[in-house]
Amino acid sequence: MSSNKKYWKSVEELKENSSIVETLQQKEFAEEIPTDEFLGDKESLSNSSTTRRDFLKYVGFSTAAASLAACEGPVIKSIPYVVQPERIVPGIANYYASTIADGFDFASVLVKTREGRPIKIENNSLAKVKAGAGARVNASVLSLYDSKRVKRPMIDGQNVSWEEFDSKVSKGLESVTGEVVLLTQTFASPSTSKVIKEFSGKFGNARHVVYDTISEDAALDAFEGKYGQRALPNYDFSKAEVIVSVGADILGDWQGGGYDVGYAKSRIPKNGKMSRHIQFEANMTNSGAKADKRVPVKPSEQKAVLSALYSYIVGGSSNSKLSSKVDDAVVKAANQLRKSGSGAVVVSGIPDVDAQNLVLSINEALGSKVMDFANPRMTRQGNNKAVQQLVADMKSGKVGAILVAGVNPAYSLPNADEFVEAMKKVDFSLAFSMKEDETAKLCKYLAATPHYLEAWGDVQFTKEDFALVQPTIRPLFDTRQIQDSLLKWAGNDTSYYNFLKETWSSITWNDALHDGVFKATSPVEIGSDAAVAGAGTAATSSLDANASAGRLAKSEDSKGAMELVLYTKVSLGDGQQANNPWLQEMPDPITRTTWDNYLTMSRVDAEELGVENTTVSDGALNGSYVNLKVGDKVVKNVPVIIQPGQARGAVGLALGYGKKEGMQDEMKVGVNAFPLYQDFKSFQNVTIEKAGGMHEFACVQLQNTLAGRDDIIKETTLREFNTEEKEHWNKMPEVSYNHEEVPTNSDKADIWTSFDRTLGHHFNLSIDLNACTGCGACVIACHSENNVPVVGKEEVRKFRDMHWLRIDRYYSAEDTFKEEQEALENLAAFDTYSAVETASDENPEVAFQPVMCQHCNHAPCETVCPVAATSHGRQGQNQMIYNRCVGTRYCANNCPYKVRRFNWFNYAKNDEFDYHMNNDLGRMVLNPDVVVRSRGVMEKCSMCIQKTQKTILDAKRDGREVEDGEFHTACSAACDKGAMVFGDINNKESEIVKMKEDERMYHLLESLGTQPNVMYQVKVRNTNEV
Amino acid sequence: MSSHYEAPIREPLVIGDKTYHDISVEIAAPVLGKANKSWWIVFSIALVAFLWGIGCIVYTVSTGIGVWGLNKTIGWAWDITNFVWWVGIGHAGTLISAVLLLFRQKWRMAVNRSAEAMTIFAVFQAGLFPIIHMGRPWLAYWVLPIPNQFGSLWVNFNSPLLWDVFAISTYLSVSLVFWWTGLLPDFAMIRDKTTSPFQKKMYGILSFGWSGRVKDWQRFEEVSLVLAGLATPLVLSVHTIVSFDFATSVVPGWHSTIFPPYFVAGAIFSGFAMVQTLLIIMRKVSNLEDYITVLHIEYMNKVILLTGGIVSVAYITEYFIGWYSGSSYENYTYLSFGAATGPYWWAFWALITCNFIVPLTLWVKSLRRNIVWTFFVALIINIGMWFERFDIIVIDLSKGRTPSSWAMFSPTFVDIGVFIGTIGFFFVLFLLYARTFPVIAQAEVKTILKSSGEMYKRLRAEHGDDFNHAHGHVHVDNDPSAGEPAANEPDRDYLSGTSNEEEVDQSAQDALIDTELKRDMVDAMLARIGTFDPAVQTADKLQKLTDVGPLMEQKLHQLGVYTYNQISNMSLQDYEVLNTIIDSFGDRARRDDWATQAANLKNN
Repeated sequence: MSSNKKYWKSVEELKENSSIVETLQQKEFAEEIPTDEFLGDKESLSNSSTTRRDFLKYVGFSTAAASLAACEGPVIKSIPYVVQPERIVPGIANYYASTIADGFDFASVLVKTREGRPIKIENNSLAKVKAGAGARVNASVLSLYDSKRVKRPMIDGQNVSWEEFDSKVSKGLESVTGEVVLLTQTFASPSTSKVIKEFSGKFGNARHVVYDTISEDAALDAFEGKYGQRALPNYDFSKAEVIVSVGADILGDWQGGGYDVGYAKSRIPKNGKMSRHIQFEANMTNSGAKADKRVPVKPSEQKAVLSALYSYIVGGSSNSKLSSKVDDAVVKAANQLRKSGSGAVVVSGIPDVDAQNLVLSINEALGSKVMDFANPRMTRQGNNKAVQQLVADMKSGKVGAILVAGVNPAYSLPNADEFVEAMKKVDFSLAFSMKEDETAKLCKYLAATPHYLEAWGDVQFTKEDFALVQPTIRPLFDTRQIQDSLLKWAGNDTSYYNFLKETWSSITWNDALHDGVFKATSPVEIGSDAAVAGAGTAATSSLDANASAGRLAKSEDSKGAMELVLYTKVSLGDGQQANNPWLQEMPDPITRTTWDNYLTMSRVDAEELGVENTTVSDGALNGSYVNLKVGDKVVKNVPVIIQPGQARGAVGLALGYGKKEGMQDEMKVGVNAFPLYQDFKSFQNVTIEKAGGMHEFACVQLQNTLAGRDDIIKETTLREFNTEEKEHWNKMPEVSYNHEEVPTNSDKADIWTSFDRTLGHHFNLSIDLNACTGCGACVIACHSENNVPVVGKEEVRKFRDMHWLRIDRYYSAEDTFKEEQEALENLAAFDTYSAVETASDENPEVAFQPVMCQHCNHAPCETVCPVAATSHGRQGQNQMIYNRCVGTRYCANNCPYKVRRFNWFNYAKNDEFDYHMNNDLGRMVLNPDVVVRSRGVMEKCSMCIQKTQKTILDAKRDGREVEDGEFHTACSAACDKGAMVFGDINNKESEIVKMKEDERMYHLLESLGTQPNVMYQVKVRNTNEV
Repeated sequence: MSSHYEAPIREPLVIGDKTYHDISVEIAAPVLGKANKSWWIVFSIALVAFLWGIGCIVYTVSTGIGVWGLNKTIGWAWDITNFVWWVGIGHAGTLISAVLLLFRQKWRMAVNRSAEAMTIFAVFQAGLFPIIHMGRPWLAYWVLPIPNQFGSLWVNFNSPLLWDVFAISTYLSVSLVFWWTGLLPDFAMIRDKTTSPFQKKMYGILSFGWSGRVKDWQRFEEVSLVLAGLATPLVLSVHTIVSFDFATSVVPGWHSTIFPPYFVAGAIFSGFAMVQTLLIIMRKVSNLEDYITVLHIEYMNKVILLTGGIVSVAYITEYFIGWYSGSSYENYTYLSFGAATGPYWWAFWALITCNFIVPLTLWVKSLRRNIVWTFFVALIINIGMWFERFDIIVIDLSKGRTPSSWAMFSPTFVDIGVFIGTIGFFFVLFLLYARTFPVIAQAEVKTILKSSGEMYKRLRAEHGDDFNHAHGHVHVDNDPSAGEPAANEPDRDYLSGTSNEEEVDQSAQDALIDTELKRDMVDAMLARIGTFDPAVQTADKLQKLTDVGPLMEQKLHQLGVYTYNQISNMSLQDYEVLNTIIDSFGDRARRDDWATQAANLKNN
């Protein structure tokens, strides 16, 4: 704005033509500056006090100051909501019930969101039917933030808009000659079935083929044959008294998994009773590890075992050719089954219709109340014959269009190369995918799909149990779920959300959405298009159990070849989440190996083959490579781990590894075992030859035995537990005080005056070694809750894993831990070392022990820190004050439990550790309540202090007392087995006090007098044989 | 003043015909002269190693401790091994200077200076490791109990690491002060000797204006004694406290009550080995064979034998008690069957061989006095003591209480680089020291020259204890302390630092008998009163006579008067002779009637 005001500088300006004014207009200064005069006069210059040095100083200083001023701190932009959403309060978590149904894992979950971001998956306690492995489901939240996700639809590898995509796809589909095929995962979703029907209706000839990456065909066929429905029997192991498993990893992914919850319930001794579990298996599995009696038998023998078992129970004749030892075990198992009657159950993982048929027959004969065939599981619908038929049809050019959803056949089909070839003959190919995986790369069209946390859906777990999937965040990318796409292409303009609501108009929508689960009857029949697939052959197969048994008993053995058992790990499962660093870094419960799959082999076989396992200078494990050959398929360079308890003549290999597309380089580990998965059978005859070179493993535990230390894992037998005094099987260690033995927990053994801990809360955590199945859900939950960094294979190999919670696994050095102790007492002192250091190869007993910070009341770590960076909390926690830590690592050295983890590097925002914490997307999963630790500081389990404080504050805000069961740590909340109980021991009514006073209670390394706030419950084995 | 008398059976501590002047010249030579080629070569190697070490440290601090080979189970390895190793090496210096001073061991004088220098430089290296081994070394000052304004909170006085902070810093400061105190007269000597104005100025500052007055000497002696008294407990305390890092923990193998004495013995063991290593080289390079003799080496070997013996007993005790406890947690400690046969068997046997077996050879006298062998053994002990600490730390940690966490350690190039860097740093300091400091405490050596110098011993053997060395054919310095207090000499300018040392020496050596006339008079007197034959007679205490003090006694001795018998024979005439020859004699003999007194004393 211009102003007309004039300001007079002096009265001179009033005069016209004033020379002064004129001069001033021309010049800045009225008078000449005497520069020449000043600088020219050497004398005055030399007299002046500003020397050249001063001048240089000023120049130097001002340059430095100027450049310093130019430096700017990083500007972090945080933009507040323009319109604050009603339900999102910063700092307050929102929970949504939802369901994961990725074709392999089906589970009801509770999703924790913070500021609109899902950050953690928890158990939905309202869900009665559970399925799916805990670790993978817990980790699935990180897959939402996978940087390798496809961000928008693509045609021929080019990004396009959905409008363009839709028009091209519609045009393409209309002009297709030949069949339109939908190749999908098991959705187990009534609404999706409806959508597919609608789509199918539009393109008259559409065929729906359901493909389960890990096949349960045999069980499905057997069930379908017997009960006329393509489903899987449901088992409630909590009702079991005797469990006989023939090759079924009931604590793993067997028949959809999720059976560990009920199993664990039956394993906790109550009123002197617990179930007895007998396991016949080839690989060492979690189930075998938990079994009271484990018999290692190779696959071909397993068939004989099952048929013999059938004979013994149903009373048929048995001409078992089993070895006397195995036969004896079978006879005893049969006796026990018979004795228990309806409390008994037989399960099997043999991929054979006859075997599965026998299982159903045996359980029927027993009248087992454990098996539920009336309300079977619907979470596996795949049909292998249909899939193979499809490949054949594609090859013959019958198929004009293929739409693939939720599966990756180009990677996971046993004949993937055939599929890849056949795809070339299909004119129209489209993949619904979150990743540019092997199959998506083959397809012309790639429809970017959202993660389940961004999608709507419904799931039918069993005949009458249903669940809803609801989005917990707006889609991060320009994605659209398959149902919406199919509806659109079918010409239906309703959104899938409305479609879903229509399907379920019979239920109270909001309640169901709130609970996540509901009971109903399915409005539509789900499953594949059996008629077209030419399935149902199972129904025509003989349902005569006797004939099955006969066929099974006669089934040829391996003719001297090795037998391969393909399995899935609790970490990676079928490999869908292979790009998830949490899962890659999760140690296998049995081998304690991360970032790999490998061939498990017995020592005898390994020695015969010249295969070896060696350790290098820092103790890390190396293993020889072998080449595997099944039929004409060869898988090269498979590393071998020598596995105690592995049945002789049998080897094991995990599926789900070796994926190469849509994967970050770091995650491309392991070998792809799917080519060996011939006929979708997990049992294969295999030829093994040794290959050159050694593989570097990343194991977190390499000492496999307890080295004779019997007070780390205490265990007893059910008989002793029932009949003997506590002192006999759970003796408190003693120390000498004035030449008198006093128990460690006595005041005399304590030189410290203790605080009054009765005020306020005092937290304790109890871990039941009987209930713990080693599943590892707690490990991932802890990662997720506490922002535990992923360090990568190389660092794990250097024993630098950051797990706050680990599940130790010990093998007995003799056949049993008891015998190990006896051997220790009888052997000459120097012989005991070799005797107790190496695990028994044949068939060791196994024990799992979750170990996290024990939160000692007399913590060895606290006294040694020079800066008091770790100190004791008022509520019993041993606290780690990261800000104060200078990183001397003395605390970690002095920790007898070795639970402290040091930040060797910066694990966040460091290109050397290019995992989720190195990108903006991945960092969205971080829990804002827990700080991300910088390098150079120690970290460890905090007993989830952020969770307990939240609970306390909530109660305080509501003006009430905290109720028992409200307090949780991430691990105790994740453990649906009830193996972990957390609570306040100052609340005398609480569950934790009962656990503390339980006779089975002991503390780890009690003789040290550290007085931990974590306690363990003695492991009881039911060795009672009939 | 220490007596001039020393049993002839004792070997001389200074060999060669050394005069006081020779000592000054020879000790000052490396400082005043130019470095030779081999010094430059060794210095360059050390400097390169040092710079490489700095590079490794910078890499560690900027990237993270992960560049070392440590892991979740083994939180300390080379870092603390090196720390304890260097602290241990630093032990010999204070023991030599403090404990041996209190025990009046004269042989310490040739080696104490370098041993103390070694101590200080070793403690520098040691002090480096606790700082750089921290995850966040820029916060290292948090371990100091400083007020909150500095961004620190109060420290945890329960922690042995904090005790370390105090122990090491106290040790370093006391050692430094002690060392410097001993250096003062020697710096002054160089100040006085040098012709370079720069050196004169520098050594003038370093010597804190030492003037050599009696008061200076007196205070010097007092302070030395007090500091020795202060430092002696430190010899025991520092490594005791370092051992608490382990002994107060709950780690099997660390938690051991014998650690404090065992660590102290081990530290002295390794410290002496390091002194041997360094001095065997230095005596050769700096031509100090006359001062650091085989005798010195043997003495030190005896200390090594003793402390090595203590250490060996400790090993056996540890092994036995570990086994005897019957605890399965003790089965894999660093001294156990489990360690001997386990994956670290080589480290176990390196320890046993280097610290137990090889030092046993020193029981053989010829090997103990064999310089090459000694050097070899010292090197082996240095290696062995490094392994001892490595074994304690790494083997014990590697097989801790929970077998699931058992792991092993292998060093990275950074681990090795940092260690080599400290060795380089140590030698850089030591080599600079050898070029700029008087490497032998010459002032102290001079005090024992007459009692323990080879030449004087020979003279005493030839001529007897009371031989007046002034009579000898060789030129011998008189005991400077026999002269006037130097400060009383009027023509001496201390501020300028110049001295007329030669003149002082001459004035001090003025014999009482300066003319032939006097000689005749004395001979005549001795003929009257009788002569003294040291071979058959013993000297009487003339000071018992009235008015005879040490000075007078000495003068009488110089005239050949030693016994009461001689005095009792004296007559007036003899008193006159004494009066003529001895200034200020007066007529005290007559007044006090020495003859009668002597006759009485003679008969008692």
